[in-house]
Amino acid sequence: MNFTWLIGGEAGFGIMTTGVVFSKIATRSGYHIFDYIEYPSLIRGGHNAYEVHVSGDDVSHLSPTIDVLVCLNKETYEKHKSRLTPSSLVVFDKEEFEIKEDIKKIIIPFKKILTDLKGQPVMKNTIALGASIGLLGGDIDELIKIISEQFSKKGEEVINFNKQFVQAGYDAVKKNYSNLILNYLVKKAGEDKLVITGNDAFSIGSVIADARVYVAYPMTPSSTVLTDLASWQEKVGMIVRHAEDEISVINTAIGSSFAGVRSAVGTSGGGFALMAEAISFSGITEIPLVVFIAQRPGPATGMPTWTEQGDLLFSVFSGHGEFPKIVLAPGDNEEMIELTAKAYNLADQYQLPVIVMSDMYLSESHKSITKKFVDEFVKNYKVNRGKLINKITNNHFPISKKYLRYQITDDGISPRLIPGTPGYFYQANSYEHLEDGHTSEDAKPRLEQVDKRARKLVTYLAEDFSMPKIYGDLEKSEIVFISWGSTKGIVIEAQKQLKIKNTNSAFIHFNHIYPLDKEKVKSLFEESKKYILVENNSWGQFGKLLMLETGFEIKEKILRYDGRAITAEEIVKYVQTLKR
Amino acid sequence: MANIQDFSGYNPTWCPGCGDWGIGIAIKQALIQLGLDPSSVGAVFGIGCSGNMNDFLNAYAIHSLHGRAIPNAIGFKIANHKMPVIVIAGDGDTYGEGGNHLMHACRGNHDITVIVHDNGVYGLTTGQSAPTAQKGFKSKSTPTGIIETPINPLALTITSGATFVAQSFAGDAIHTISMIKAGIEHKGFSVVNILQPCVTFNKVNTYQYYLQRVYKLDENYQKNDFKIAVQKSLEINDEKFPLGIIYQNKKATYSDQLPQLKDSTLVDKKRFTDIDQISKLFI
Repeated sequence: MNFTWLIGGEAGFGIMTTGVVFSKIATRSGYHIFDYIEYPSLIRGGHNAYEVHVSGDDVSHLSPTIDVLVCLNKETYEKHKSRLTPSSLVVFDKEEFEIKEDIKKIIIPFKKILTDLKGQPVMKNTIALGASIGLLGGDIDELIKIISEQFSKKGEEVINFNKQFVQAGYDAVKKNYSNLILNYLVKKAGEDKLVITGNDAFSIGSVIADARVYVAYPMTPSSTVLTDLASWQEKVGMIVRHAEDEISVINTAIGSSFAGVRSAVGTSGGGFALMAEAISFSGITEIPLVVFIAQRPGPATGMPTWTEQGDLLFSVFSGHGEFPKIVLAPGDNEEMIELTAKAYNLADQYQLPVIVMSDMYLSESHKSITKKFVDEFVKNYKVNRGKLINKITNNHFPISKKYLRYQITDDGISPRLIPGTPGYFYQANSYEHLEDGHTSEDAKPRLEQVDKRARKLVTYLAEDFSMPKIYGDLEKSEIVFISWGSTKGIVIEAQKQLKIKNTNSAFIHFNHIYPLDKEKVKSLFEESKKYILVENNSWGQFGKLLMLETGFEIKEKILRYDGRAITAEEIVKYVQTLKR
Repeated sequence: MANIQDFSGYNPTWCPGCGDWGIGIAIKQALIQLGLDPSSVGAVFGIGCSGNMNDFLNAYAIHSLHGRAIPNAIGFKIANHKMPVIVIAGDGDTYGEGGNHLMHACRGNHDITVIVHDNGVYGLTTGQSAPTAQKGFKSKSTPTGIIETPINPLALTITSGATFVAQSFAGDAIHTISMIKAGIEHKGFSVVNILQPCVTFNKVNTYQYYLQRVYKLDENYQKNDFKIAVQKSLEINDEKFPLGIIYQNKKATYSDQLPQLKDSTLVDKKRFTDIDQISKLFI
């Protein structure tokens, strides 16, 4: 079973909150969800749409059709009617606008209910939720429970006032449209699930990993990490600083990381551009840092509230000079939690910047994950701080021995001492330096330090690099998709649809993006197969990186760069055209 | 107790006669007199002749990027608020490249001490004009004289929310030591602007120039009066340079206002492990 519910209306009237409530009712009723919000870079006056794809099974893609379309204004209907099918239901108020087309109409008197019960315009949403739950055979008590939780601080009176609107919407459906009720949301047993966005997943991963400083400047679509962590900071013992600009953001985090606490920053492409100099600084000083980048279409201000994977190469090659860094790009919320927590370990183990890449599609869409997944992950996760020396005893470091912060080692990693440790001192130096941290411009130490830093990635590739995950049978499939990051769920859905049409495919999904293990990755490719690159950008940036790192060029490309996520249907269509 | 030798790294490479020599010794003396040693003090250096002190002064230190020493120091301090953290940087670093950071650090009243070498020129890049250069100052980057009027570091920091603003002259080591000490002892954001001749690239603001124009604030000066302090700070617009604590006031510091730091520093805190507290927000 799966269906899509979409609610739309004018921006500024609570569509976002309403969508999350619907998603939570679905998960609390035993289902899985994936949702997506569409909104302009405005606070008032634009069009907002929130769609929820509900499924009996784990889901991480959208559906091309809409089963229940809730129109709080006429624009919603006009914008989304092309996705209706003959069995779709459209909820609207004929007092507000008329629909001429012959469709299944569910007329709810929003206006009249608001007037009769003396409600605010924003309560149209509450009526719409009541009507939707009624229409989908859902449990009205679940909805009332969520509404009560939402208004718990405002007292019984406010809760009861809101309940009336839920009931009115619900009753309007039950009274007039009992013949059209779809039993899609009938409550069933299911595990506890979290309804989270990719940004929430980064925040949760950061708390699990014991991150203690998060610094950011608001920038869509990364800002909810800042607001999540800011609201949790006292509870979890973290310090969240909203600094004056992204340059201060990253340099604050470098300062706190130097002092010994796990530190991260978050931004989108434009903010990251301002951070580039300090990425290089983190590289030469070998101060660990986690950088979260939620991409949006650029260049410059671009399209702030839409999606793109356009900053991959910029991230991989960010920062002046040659220094090592690691780039990860989770494919969904579960991977976001895992790889975020791993990023903090890698940053500490290899003492370098680790970039975790997301995009608006992953950062702002909710996907339900089971609580069991989180619990298991927490149970198994180990904080690995690498060669950090926490408490020095004379046994480890006799006082007579000089501590060398940038000691030449075989694995490229030098012991890192927490500042304040008695009996020692050292400097983290932005200039090229000797093993003890003092500035040097001599040729020999320069070569030694460049080579030492480079060896860290050799060690990483041997110890911690993960090969891409393969979905489907790579040996037997002639068609092989290649993608990275947030397109994972979409390509997997395309594979399912192709399978129904008797086309087998395999899918190589990269989430450890840079550096790549040349020989191992190369072995996945052979000349005889049809490889198709799937990316949400216009250059096929991962394809270029793959070619650079392995010499293998992918010629077939599905690229989308209009600000919208690629759909499974586009991929299927592309494959069918290829076959003809 | 630590001595000068404990704090001394490499021999300085400053020009003979440079004001940095006096400031370098004053910083070490101040740290010694405060009972600190290289293991118990955090120092963040800017980029410039003054920042080169990174190799000459022993401490847990960061030699930062140009302009970014203050945010590094803020991060250092929030992670370990029990450790004194000082910034050693020039006028270009603090008032030019890092001007935005300075202003907002003042607002935050972060408990760090910013020691500014104010000589009106960029020495390390061989003599371009700095934001504190007097209008009309001729330099390699302003051959016909600088068009902009100079930054007023005292007025800027006092009005931005710094709770300690002092000025000293590199030619008076004893006074400079006392200002640096008072700055570090002050709980809150402190700025010590040190007037300093650059003997190589600034032929205007010489020792003689300053000796004729500096004067010490008298004992009755009301340093905790904001309006008087602002007025006093405006004197430098007319090339009159008061020395001493121009402004000092008591206010809660940034870390004082973080309940997370009530019982322990961030770096020594116990790990938070009750993830259910977070998970339940999303069910």
